[in-house]
Amino acid sequence: MSQAALLSVKGLEAKVEDKTILKGLDLEIKPGEVHAIMGPNGAGKSTLGYVLSGREGYEVVGGEATLAGTELLDIDIEERSRAGLFLAFQYPVEIPGVSNLEFLKSSVDAHREAQGLEPISSKEFLKEAREACKQVNLPAEFLKRGVNEGFSGGEKKRNEIMQMLLLKPKLCILDESDSGLDIDALQVVAEGVNSMRDGERSFVVVTHYQRLLDYIKPDFVHVLSDGKIVKSGDASLALELEAQGYSWLTEQRSADPIEMHKEVM
Amino acid sequence: MSNWLTQALAQYQSSDSTDWLSAAREKSLQQLHNTAWPTRKTENWRYTPLACLERTSVAEPTNDAFTAESIEGLECIEIVFVNGKLVSELTDNIPGVSISLLSESKESAQNLFQKVKPEHHVFGLVNDVLASAGVVIDVDESVVVDTPIRLVHWQNGGESHVRHLVRVGKGASLAVIEEYRGDNPLVATQYAEYQLEDDAKLNHYRFALHTNQAMVVGGSHFNLSDRSELHSTLIGFGSLLSRVDIDINHCGEHAMATQNSVYLLEGKEIFDLHSNVEHTKPNGTTEENIRGIVGDEAKAVFNGRIHIHRHAQKTLAELNNRNLLLTNKAEVNTKPELEIYADDVRCAHGATVAELDTKALYYLRSRGVSEQEARIMLNFGFINELIEQLPLEPLVEWLQGELKRRFNDLRNQIPGVEAV
Repeated sequence: MSQAALLSVKGLEAKVEDKTILKGLDLEIKPGEVHAIMGPNGAGKSTLGYVLSGREGYEVVGGEATLAGTELLDIDIEERSRAGLFLAFQYPVEIPGVSNLEFLKSSVDAHREAQGLEPISSKEFLKEAREACKQVNLPAEFLKRGVNEGFSGGEKKRNEIMQMLLLKPKLCILDESDSGLDIDALQVVAEGVNSMRDGERSFVVVTHYQRLLDYIKPDFVHVLSDGKIVKSGDASLALELEAQGYSWLTEQRSADPIEMHKEVM
Repeated sequence: MSNWLTQALAQYQSSDSTDWLSAAREKSLQQLHNTAWPTRKTENWRYTPLACLERTSVAEPTNDAFTAESIEGLECIEIVFVNGKLVSELTDNIPGVSISLLSESKESAQNLFQKVKPEHHVFGLVNDVLASAGVVIDVDESVVVDTPIRLVHWQNGGESHVRHLVRVGKGASLAVIEEYRGDNPLVATQYAEYQLEDDAKLNHYRFALHTNQAMVVGGSHFNLSDRSELHSTLIGFGSLLSRVDIDINHCGEHAMATQNSVYLLEGKEIFDLHSNVEHTKPNGTTEENIRGIVGDEAKAVFNGRIHIHRHAQKTLAELNNRNLLLTNKAEVNTKPELEIYADDVRCAHGATVAELDTKALYYLRSRGVSEQEARIMLNFGFINELIEQLPLEPLVEWLQGELKRRFNDLRNQIPGVEAV
């Protein structure tokens, strides 16, 4: 009856330099589910994505994480991507001199190689990339430009979604993909995500605001505070948070952390 | 005086010197006699030994047939010299533009010769005396030349002395590509002087693409009049001896210059770039970006001087040199120099041996690109950043191809990339 988890994170502890950020985080996501993670600044929301993707400087000190049965924490950054993990960055980096098109084709080919497929032909890839551009409302000329070079904040976020469309990951973590976006760009991002929901692919939507969740309907909402998930619920929890903020949760938690943790499960 | 110089000058003394340049040649010859030949103690030649000129035997050229590889998609006026001899037709059908051979030019070119190039370049003086190959290009006032002029020099031995003189008239606009190539041991001096009149605009490209047996010294020199605009790009492969001097003189106000250079060195090559920018008038702008990748046991030398004179208020000048060294034996000697005598200017300079951006590396890898491939992409991106922004798209693609060909020889040396 219970379906196997796509992503399973257990007791994840991680530190940056000497500061422990994640303090025993548990999260289980089944295929096709959308989970929202909300929480106050500094709670560790972005850290979760960085740790799962393998960013240097984020040291795992405890716990485990598997994606579709693959032990994520043991493998290199690029292997995690090829295993089906995709992190849409809050602040995508600009890489002048490396063309978007060349980068994207290398990414797609690396994924194909991992699946035992031949590299995609340039012609076919260009067609797909143009299609993906169109879907996120980016002019095709962006493919020729340097990776994120001179892109506006909104263009960078849409470029992330475009990459997601091309790489077709199993699990997408959207790290504040709504920050700095106007309502039109927000809809573009949301439509990109929704177009990829197929009952198998799962999403983790990290956000501060309920607003994005109006467009991407979560199955579950979690509150991350001080390195742990302190409350979980359905979509209505996000509305409650919007109305009341986080303080009632963080206070309640310090009063009875064990009880809170049970509620999460 | 060096043996090489004595022998080189002998050609002049034994030749008929009744040409239109004889007065100028005589003057430079005198000056040359009064100039000490550079040694390792000469600051401008400190890292670039000239002994190879004496030691290397240079055979006479074989005058093989040479066809300049065309730049796909780019319509150019091509002027091709092989071993110092013109082998193409000189076009005379561009309205408002005159192009003539240096040797056949008349008095009109007199005020262009040795008017822009500073006198302190020793090899420049040699070139004054011996220059025989080259063209004089004069663009009339307000003429916008849509088709770039591509000046190709190919040499497979012997000695040649190239001199181009270019005047871009008031409000006129032109693009010039200087392209130098060669096989076998060879010696060449290759100089070009550009006079930009008021409001003139020049897109300038200099490609030094010799093989590693060449001994070439030269330079491109620019006078910028009021509100004129220069965009110059230099691509350098190293050689046994490869030295380029870029001089930019802000003779007028509100002139603007950008100068981007890229060098990509392998083997035991030397590439030596000296740039000197003189801001003598107010409100000028200069931006220089120089980037290099040095592999094997190659050596890069960069000396970038910006001199802001007392009256050159409101000057904006930036100079940046960044290098990637691929091996322990690769070497770069870089020295930015700012001399500022005006008090209301904005200047910045920097020179670094750079490392790859770890954030960029993470970003590429987070999309599944292997670490090795990501490093290769970022290394090429480091130089490509200066190429991709050039205005002529076919030229960009062609250059990227030229650079990639050489870059592929070096990619296995990139730290973190294993030999395949």
